[in-house]
Amino acid sequence: MNYVIELIKQSKALSFYILLTLVFLFGVFSESSGLIKEFIDTFDDWIYLLRQNMFIVFTSGITATFLGIGSGILMSRPWFKRYSNIFAQGFNILSAVPTLAILAIIMTLTGIGFKSAFIGLVTVTILPVVRNTYQGISEVPDHMIEAARGQGMTDKQILWKVQIPNALYVISAGVRTGFALNVGTSPLITLIAADSLGEYIFTGIQLNEFNSLLIGSLSVAVMAILTDFILIKLQYLLVPKGVNPLRFT
Amino acid sequence: MIRLENLTKHFEVPGKEPIIAANNVCMEVGKGEICIFLGPSGCGKTTALKMINKLIPKTSGKIYIDGKDTDDLDPITLRREIGYVIQQIGLFPNMTIEDNICVVPDLLKMDKKKSREKARELMDMVNLDPNIFLKRYPRELSGGQQQRIGVIRALAADPPVLLMDEPFGAIDPINRAVIQDEFLKMNAKLGKTVLFVSHDINEAIKMGDKIAIFRDGILEQCDTPDEILSNPANSFIKDFVGTDRALKRLKLIKVSEAVMPFRVAVKADDSLDKAAEKMRSRDVHLAVMVGPQGRARGYITKDEIKGEEDGMVGEYINPIPGTIHENDNLHDAVSQMYVHACDWLPVVDDDGTYKGLITQHIIASLLGETPRKRGDKIS
Repeated sequence: MNYVIELIKQSKALSFYILLTLVFLFGVFSESSGLIKEFIDTFDDWIYLLRQNMFIVFTSGITATFLGIGSGILMSRPWFKRYSNIFAQGFNILSAVPTLAILAIIMTLTGIGFKSAFIGLVTVTILPVVRNTYQGISEVPDHMIEAARGQGMTDKQILWKVQIPNALYVISAGVRTGFALNVGTSPLITLIAADSLGEYIFTGIQLNEFNSLLIGSLSVAVMAILTDFILIKLQYLLVPKGVNPLRFT
Repeated sequence: MIRLENLTKHFEVPGKEPIIAANNVCMEVGKGEICIFLGPSGCGKTTALKMINKLIPKTSGKIYIDGKDTDDLDPITLRREIGYVIQQIGLFPNMTIEDNICVVPDLLKMDKKKSREKARELMDMVNLDPNIFLKRYPRELSGGQQQRIGVIRALAADPPVLLMDEPFGAIDPINRAVIQDEFLKMNAKLGKTVLFVSHDINEAIKMGDKIAIFRDGILEQCDTPDEILSNPANSFIKDFVGTDRALKRLKLIKVSEAVMPFRVAVKADDSLDKAAEKMRSRDVHLAVMVGPQGRARGYITKDEIKGEEDGMVGEYINPIPGTIHENDNLHDAVSQMYVHACDWLPVVDDDGTYKGLITQHIIASLLGETPRKRGDKIS
């Protein structure tokens, strides 16, 4: 066994062939189990649901990012300091609530459909964003703020030129966590009658249709991986080089 | 240039008496002077410094900079006109070194091209290669390099006044000495008025034109380092500067100030008679023999040629123990004397030309002089 692992490590070509074989076997398996047929049969649905799912993930994610960073900044302002602890604790408690429960609670308030799903996903995503923004900004060392103030920066300039750029990596990590939660929760919104790839999954569970289940879950998995991949790229590009551990050499 | 009048600061402590961090501090620092705020921790030196650029609001009193009352200036404008260096350096990690240096010029919306040029100039002054460092980020620099940047950042907008809060406190001793020298050299050129907080008496003696010693918010003494060492105003200062204060003074006095006021030099082909006569006339017991270029070659003593009538100086010559440069300080001179186990040294200039003698006796009487001059008020 060790010998084989060593061989794989040493030979790029070999691992490539093994990968190719696995893909081929997966293809054979999906053909024989009818997965591909099922996929082709429901392709129009798939495209529609994928589009809906991506749309709601994208819109709710972006909304939550902006709202979250905004409120995180607000919480870190000196005049808000005395309440910010209460808010931070509140957000911490909220993030302990299971996402399904959040969706259920919101459904009781705003009914079913896209609107509730949207609000639910924003709520799920916003928590890590707010927490990281607040923490990132408050963790900028005091001496750096003192240096900035001593050079004659106004509070606004300190915020935009020193605090936010230096917190940006932590903030971006929050956004990534938020989006991961968002994509992970998105299939569940099928339960409150909003369109998403969750339809494949829940239909699959209810009808004992493994193929449908697989299409849904694989699609969501790929979507999650792709989203994170894009966000890593953005993180690499947008966070200033001096404070970006990804770009440290 | 900077005048503090009855500067007072009370920190309110709920339920207790307020802490008095500065109590009627009055002092004046002239243009181009380096004034060190010295004292044990918690003595109010940093508070006094930070009140000048309004990082800490004062309770009462007045601060004048260049004759202008700082109450009339808003804090932002004031701070941009005062350079500020802190112990933790506080470079902004998100900006390149270039942008860090040009923070204040950029805040003042100065011409970018000019300020970048100025940054290169300043980097040259602290011996950092601008081509290598300007585009780097602070985390890629060592601590000593970062603090050099911290200092020149404070100078980038060419402020007349510099406030430094223990700027070299976190740097290792070897690097610290180098940076201190660089800073002194740089400020000799730039002529900024510098207020400098330190808790290190040696640093204060080395850097300061003036030293202000604080205790519990009270300015105990503000004077030149030499005065503070030779005439400490009270027992607190006497203890603070240490029992070796006379030795510390050695660093303040240059060899050229202590060299004998005349120079007894003989040549190799002088007769012993002539040499003896020369020594007798100046009442010294040794004479240095100089070569044709005026360099010290050796010496003869009175005792050795006693009773010898004929002969040349060259026959009785002893090798000189060592030399000391006229720009070195007495501390170096004494150290040299101990190395060579002798009580005198010939003083030379850049070309090695013999300038005169320095003896332990002269040094001792020079150090003893000042306290007597003022009358001994210290027990």
